[in-house]
Amino acid sequence: MRKYHLVRRADAQFKRTLIYYAIGILVSLTIGAVILAALGINPFEYYGRMFSIGLIGNRYGYKSIEGLLKIFVPLLITSLALSLSFKMRFWNIGGEGEFLIGAIAASIVAFNCSGLPNFVTVLLMCLAAMISSGIIGIAVAALKVKFNTNETLMTLMLNYIMLYVIRYLGETKAEWNFFLEEESERPIFGTFPETAFMGGIPIGPFKLLWSVIFAVLLTVIVYVYLKYTKQGYEISVVGDSSATAKYAGMSVGKIVLRTMFISSALIGLAAAFTVSAAGTISDTITNDVGWTGIIVAWLSKLSIPAVFVTAVLISILQYGCQAAATQYPAIDINYADLLQGLILFSVLVADFAANFRIVRKEDAKNA
Amino acid sequence: MEFAIELKGISKSFGPVAANKNINLSLAKGEILALLGENGSGKTTLMNMLSGIYMPDSGSIFIDGKKVEINSPEDSSKLGIGMVHQHFKLVEKFTALENIRIGIRNEGRLVHGADVRKKIEDTAAKFGFEIDLDKKVANMAVSEKQTLEILKVLCYGAKIIILDEPTAVLTVQEIDRLFAVLRKMREDGHSIIIITHKLNEVMAISDRVAILRHGEYISTVVTKETDEKTLTELMVGRKISLNIDRPIMEKTHPLLEIRDLTVKNDEGAVAIDHINFYIRGGEMLGVAGIAGSGQKELCEAIAGLRKIEEGQMIHEGESIVGMSPKKILEHGISMSFIPEDRLGMGLAPSLSITDNMILKNYNEAKGIFVDRKSARAEAQKVIDRLEVITPSTETPVRRLSGGNVQKVLLGREIKSGPNVLVTAYPVRGLDINSSYTIYNILNEEKKKGVGILFVGEDLDVMLELCDKIMVICHGRLQGVVNSDHTTKEEIGLMMTGTINIVNKEGKTDGIAKDSAFTDEEGKA
Repeated sequence: MRKYHLVRRADAQFKRTLIYYAIGILVSLTIGAVILAALGINPFEYYGRMFSIGLIGNRYGYKSIEGLLKIFVPLLITSLALSLSFKMRFWNIGGEGEFLIGAIAASIVAFNCSGLPNFVTVLLMCLAAMISSGIIGIAVAALKVKFNTNETLMTLMLNYIMLYVIRYLGETKAEWNFFLEEESERPIFGTFPETAFMGGIPIGPFKLLWSVIFAVLLTVIVYVYLKYTKQGYEISVVGDSSATAKYAGMSVGKIVLRTMFISSALIGLAAAFTVSAAGTISDTITNDVGWTGIIVAWLSKLSIPAVFVTAVLISILQYGCQAAATQYPAIDINYADLLQGLILFSVLVADFAANFRIVRKEDAKNA
Repeated sequence: MEFAIELKGISKSFGPVAANKNINLSLAKGEILALLGENGSGKTTLMNMLSGIYMPDSGSIFIDGKKVEINSPEDSSKLGIGMVHQHFKLVEKFTALENIRIGIRNEGRLVHGADVRKKIEDTAAKFGFEIDLDKKVANMAVSEKQTLEILKVLCYGAKIIILDEPTAVLTVQEIDRLFAVLRKMREDGHSIIIITHKLNEVMAISDRVAILRHGEYISTVVTKETDEKTLTELMVGRKISLNIDRPIMEKTHPLLEIRDLTVKNDEGAVAIDHINFYIRGGEMLGVAGIAGSGQKELCEAIAGLRKIEEGQMIHEGESIVGMSPKKILEHGISMSFIPEDRLGMGLAPSLSITDNMILKNYNEAKGIFVDRKSARAEAQKVIDRLEVITPSTETPVRRLSGGNVQKVLLGREIKSGPNVLVTAYPVRGLDINSSYTIYNILNEEKKKGVGILFVGEDLDVMLELCDKIMVICHGRLQGVVNSDHTTKEEIGLMMTGTINIVNKEGKTDGIAKDSAFTDEEGKA
């Protein structure tokens, strides 16, 4: 006989959800602490370094902030872009592939337009990246609209195709391959000319890159776009029920194409920002944002303000782990993944607990 | 009396909603019990607890006098309970035989061989089922699928059969056949619970009637000692009139004329086959037909959502063939279609009432932004006028009850002031009260001179509500009858294609005498 069963809570309160989330995160940090202790590391010290992202007692603290932002900007923009397509229930899991296409397109401009002024070069890199990623996005959407192909498979495969394309570029010494360092015997990716580097506003030794300012601005734009514009309204109707959208006289195909173009183009932009800030390209340039972005979007339940906050937190976690790991030889960046996984899992459990409760089955009194 | 089932103090809640509150119910051996109640009164929830899909929060179940625990559909089936769900649970790609065989278990192993066929054939013969065991479910008509479902539970040895709204999808003649089978089962000692909200059927088939209201058990009455009026009062909880108004209006010229219309369905087969009809202002034209006879394709063609293969559609003297859905809407033709899941078309369930109001005209606002301010005002107007019960204009439509959802949909359709209103299944799944509200809304529009095409399921309602009824069978017109000069039986026979009166007495049904078509255009 089953004594317990699940009942959906009547009042899913925001406050309770927050408290449960906090408990969940605390539990995962505790598990993380046990693992650290087992490795002979003082967890308080480690977490201290992690959450202060290596700022404390660091003469070059501004470098930490710069490093954090380098992780944050692509993650934020990719998560925003993915939220757009998820809102339309278009399961774009091709963030990695779209990012790589943008990165390659931006690099082509960077390596070949060394004569142009800095501002023009960076702008061209962004445009090239957005257009090429956008076109790929449209291609996937068109296959879906025309032949009803499965977008999940299509975008997933795109990731692997692009991964191998960039590896090919990185490993093939040839006359035509301008991506590689000419002087080096071994094939390694070259460094961009000075003019292809992202500029910014210097604040003391710290440089606030334009890409950071633009990413924050973009959050506001995407928020307004989804919430207040006609196009945003169309996305939510198509996502909610494409049959209804069709009945309302919307051309669903056009909306899907347009939204996927915007979504992919934004990921391309994130890639252009990233290669321009890094000054080079590599096959690990994505830092897995295509995957992490999916997690950020869903943890935020596709709410744009929440995407911003979540992207900040995940960036701190990732960069903090990197920074802290430098002090401890027993630990590397993989610990960040582990902790991230633990936190994700516990937040999902917390979310479930905030919406359901377990009740004991009672026998009838008159039975 | 010996009881097959006794339920004592059964309660079940879903979150804050108590679907069943302290229900006591008994089913005698060898009787047909009708379970009567409005939508949301907890009938299906209660039966799902007997079939092991839900477990009660409290209370106990007795089968043949013994207290039992039903924790899974398997438990239920072992106890001899078989449920025929409203939505059939069959494997489309399998034949009838295979569908039955996959469920027969012999000590955990699947059974093969000829004895299974023999067993099924015997059972079918015993109860008078006509079924082709080698036909694939995908090729079956709805009534055949239902026969298969019933045969299936009988073959699994069920002694207690629960049927959830079995007549909703059947024609009059098919219902008679079903009832004959049920009576045979009763003679054989089976106990049957039939869920329905059609009173005439309750009177025709049941021995006793148990009534639920808002999740509470009201009473059980002996069918012979009661009448439809009493049952309605028990079900609704107060006296209501069962008559549907049909205001008689001065009929004006034909607003919408359809001539020789042919439309294909999604699979490319002909769904509407050379149909002629017209709607005048101030007139309600019913469309009767078995589910899937082309109703959906017809509605979509009129609304411009489906390409037409052949034929003409003239609205107030202007052809609307090839116009975009938006253009047709601007012309004053509004179409609403309530599909089986009730939310799939016409409304976006997760969006608010406000957002659903502007679904068809959000584009009229200037600039790139959606005009939510006037949308909110419109939503409030519809809420006030049609008495929609909702916490606010910002509540997602999904959270409203069925009746209110459909009021929101109709409210939006009539707020743009159409002169032709195409409405398919507007009362689908609604209880009596909400249905009457919808009929009133439609009659109000009719009084304003709007021409209404009413695609419906319930012939009794259509005979009372509509001025004329056009009957289609497999996409072909079987005739247009005047509601005052026809019978349910005649319409039933037309629905199955048995009689066709399109060319009766030299006059052709569906073509208006004062047609706006010129002779050349209108060669039917």
